[in-house]
Amino acid sequence: MIRRFLLCALFAAAAVPAWAQTMSYADAISQLAAACKNDIARYCKGVPLGPRLKTCFDANGARMSPKCQQTRSAVYASISRRAAAQRNIGDVCSADIARLCDTSHADAHLVECLVSVSPAALSQQCGQTFNDTGWRTERARQ
Amino acid sequence: MKSHRCHAVAALVLLGAVTAALGQQQINSSQMATSLAGVSNTRLSLTGAQMRQAVLDNIHNYPGTLPPRPLTFPQMENMAQFVVEVDFDFNSAVIRPSSYRTIGSIADALHNPILLGYGFLVIGHTDSVGGRQYNVGLSQRRAEAIRDALIDPFGVNPGVLEAVGMGEEQLRDPAHPTSGVNRRVQLVNVGKKFCFGRSGEQFVCP
Repeated sequence: MIRRFLLCALFAAAAVPAWAQTMSYADAISQLAAACKNDIARYCKGVPLGPRLKTCFDANGARMSPKCQQTRSAVYASISRRAAAQRNIGDVCSADIARLCDTSHADAHLVECLVSVSPAALSQQCGQTFNDTGWRTERARQ
Repeated sequence: MKSHRCHAVAALVLLGAVTAALGQQQINSSQMATSLAGVSNTRLSLTGAQMRQAVLDNIHNYPGTLPPRPLTFPQMENMAQFVVEVDFDFNSAVIRPSSYRTIGSIADALHNPILLGYGFLVIGHTDSVGGRQYNVGLSQRRAEAIRDALIDPFGVNPGVLEAVGMGEEQLRDPAHPTSGVNRRVQLVNVGKKFCFGRSGEQFVCP
């Protein structure tokens, strides 16, 4: 119950609109590199990619170029939304999986199953979280 | 699992061809994931600590400006793996923005469901510029910087990643020890680490 509440709070707090797709980590972080390269060199020189870079953005964001500010909000929101979806998919979709899939959840078969069922058959929350994982598009590319 | 195995072999062959033909060309996250998937069901019988010790022993037993003989780990040759180039600031463990995409691609690959529960070594290699002992420390810090970024912001489970610095003990091109091709990062699948029960609970595989 507490976990469910935290999940809801997490979704409510995300800056990305609920219908938006999350980006792949590669696309997200290369947008950041492109839009913020100069600002990173100026305000975050020597700061490693990782938690400290985000802290540096938080501390210096107001001084950075508008394009960088806008991009980094969208990029970090997308990354944390995708990471949360990948972490929580088993819990969020447990009822759907029990109903639709003949498998234990949280392994590769889960994705095969969720891809194979019609999106309309999934509960709204499970469908959204599954979209956010990016695994539907990842699977389609293979 | 069988089809994954075929894919992985194909991807490794492809990787060799692509690297040879295009030099700097990097592989994408799908290719990384298939390169890391299911070639072998065995777990690597070698720990990060043993590898770090072997590196120090190699420097101690075979001293010289360059390693007189490359350090080899035969156990690792059959493990699923790939190699990428990552740009760091000079003499530093700070990843350059030009390589952010590569780190993001590794994160995409490690989150691929076919790799769920597997453990990975992140192995850093330097060229021969600088002392051998120094390069071990530098490559260790660089491998750790990649591990740190994969964990936060990209959400990879810290329990599946171990960083190891090889220094210059495994030059890729010993004839040109200062060449950029020697500076690289190797990702190795060390086998299943976490297993999942019927109700999705995660535990360390027996």
